[in-house]
Amino acid sequence: MKIRHGIDLLQRWRRNPILTLEDVPYRCNTVFNATPVKVDGTYYLIIRIEGQQGYSYFALAHSGDGLHFEVEPTPCMMPSTQEPWRTWEENGIEDPRLTVIEGRYFIMYTACGGHGHYIALAETEDFHNYERIAVVSEPGNKDGVLFPEKINGLYARLDRPFGKGIGSMWISYSPDLVHWGKSEFVCAPRPRFWDQYRIGASAPPIYTDRGWLEIYHGVKMTSAGPIYRIGTIMLDKDNPAHIIGRCVEPLLSPRMDYERIGDVGNVCFACGAIVEDDNSVKVYYGAADTSICVATTTMEELIDSCFECTDEKDCIGGSHH
Amino acid sequence: MNGIAGRDIIHRWEGNPLISIADLSFRCSDIHNAGIARLNGDVMMLLNIESLQGHNLFYRARSNDCINFTVDPKPFMSPPKTGPRAKYETFGIRDPRITPLEGKFYITYVADSELGMRLGLACTKDFTDVEFLGYVSQPDVKNGVLFPKKINGRYALLKRPDGGNLWLSYSQDLDFWGDEKVIMTTRGGFWDSSRIGAAAVPIECEQGWLLLYYGAKDTSAGPLVRLGAVILDHDDPSKVIARSDIPILSPRERYERVGDIPNMVFSCGAIVKDDEVWVYYGASDSCICLGTATIESISEFCLACAVVQDYMHSMEEE
Repeated sequence: MKIRHGIDLLQRWRRNPILTLEDVPYRCNTVFNATPVKVDGTYYLIIRIEGQQGYSYFALAHSGDGLHFEVEPTPCMMPSTQEPWRTWEENGIEDPRLTVIEGRYFIMYTACGGHGHYIALAETEDFHNYERIAVVSEPGNKDGVLFPEKINGLYARLDRPFGKGIGSMWISYSPDLVHWGKSEFVCAPRPRFWDQYRIGASAPPIYTDRGWLEIYHGVKMTSAGPIYRIGTIMLDKDNPAHIIGRCVEPLLSPRMDYERIGDVGNVCFACGAIVEDDNSVKVYYGAADTSICVATTTMEELIDSCFECTDEKDCIGGSHH
Repeated sequence: MNGIAGRDIIHRWEGNPLISIADLSFRCSDIHNAGIARLNGDVMMLLNIESLQGHNLFYRARSNDCINFTVDPKPFMSPPKTGPRAKYETFGIRDPRITPLEGKFYITYVADSELGMRLGLACTKDFTDVEFLGYVSQPDVKNGVLFPKKINGRYALLKRPDGGNLWLSYSQDLDFWGDEKVIMTTRGGFWDSSRIGAAAVPIECEQGWLLLYYGAKDTSAGPLVRLGAVILDHDDPSKVIARSDIPILSPRERYERVGDIPNMVFSCGAIVKDDEVWVYYGASDSCICLGTATIESISEFCLACAVVQDYMHSMEEE
């Protein structure tokens, strides 16, 4: 029996936000965009913290139920102090996305360097120590998410090169996680829609029997600034550059005070989701760049949402099709 | 043939412009830039022509004396209307650079569309047929120039992503690229303060690689685009050995000042002739010109600048 409570498809946990700066055992400005993983019944969240000095770094939180988290006493990953990484990360590290591939934990994140934003990749075994692998994009790129499996023998990622300032979703491939290429356009903002200004990948893609489910963020620009909402697309199983479905309506929009009020108001920005054994899904999202929240749904609802859009042009988006 | 000696390190050929619209057998909007390479006894040029509709494509031109060129009446390479490439090239293809490497000619070019500009790679054996190999960047990247030799076993590509600096990346197979690095940045207060990018394919010289690059300075009337020179380390071209403080060629002549994009000299290729480098450059996005200088005069100048820069730097430290 499907019950749609309230106005959004994603159900906010009633005790949101799950983490604010009150929960951090040291002084900081804000906690937000966080990526989850569940290992042997323990939930880990790698969270983005913006320090009061102004740049971002990562901290680790853990939980037994995915709802009540404890933040560890010290940050887990700071911008590097050693070249060449010092230059790549001199303005901070942002928006981690964790992907498990064959038992290895990879974190794709945004490195903010003196020459722009790039996507960087690190690996961890214990969530406390992070080994940097490579900068994997050209500058002017963000929102990189790794697929949890190789596709046709190659690692794959979605990302958001700015591309004439449009902010579309692209895909790239790699044989070794260091050298990347065969990049292709995947989909663009949709004129008239809630995601008309900019889109980007949010959670690492989730494998389903209908294809790769991607929880993404869409932006509408207003005279008061952007509104960030959460949506879904479905990508072809064997050729994920090919979009086969896309939601019509956002699954979650900023409505609550904790999503409306903060350093960057009117933002719901997911960086990952946990699919439970019973097919329920916990989506972790940063709210107003100021706190971390969770919302739940089921895989069935997420998959169904991708097939709301029946017009192929509207699925791909952009003005050029 | 030193033409007018004097103001710039590069000497203009007195017969400039070399190719202008009047030399073509077809109508077009403009002639932009040209890549160049030697094929047997001839030199082959790929001209970036803007059609009257406003799209860019490449025409082939041939010369046996490096000066008098015959331009083909039909395009050599056009953006495809269908297939997987079509959506990346709806506005056309631009700025070809031709790199002779491993017995073939690789053409790096800019694919232009609503999705942004990205680098394409094509290949030809003899300038009869051309094969598309793939795209070697994501959008918002221009000025891709492939080195004419592998560097420590890997292909090396110079490029200019957004932000206006010169980057280098490497590949084992021309498909997958990595080890991205910024090797040279714009200089505030200088003639190359707004954007820089590789111009011609790097030339091996005594001190390493001689790279001609372009530098732009934005003014209230638009950019001033000039040509500069830098020497990169032979075994590790991410290392800048010596960079010229001043341009080696600046827009001064009428054909460089007047055109669709005025005040621009922009080279996509050069050839070595005896001890000279012959630089083919687009002027004002409207014609192709020739300028020459000895390799030694350019490299010596870069090195002299480096000596002064080191001296100034040491004074600052004291």
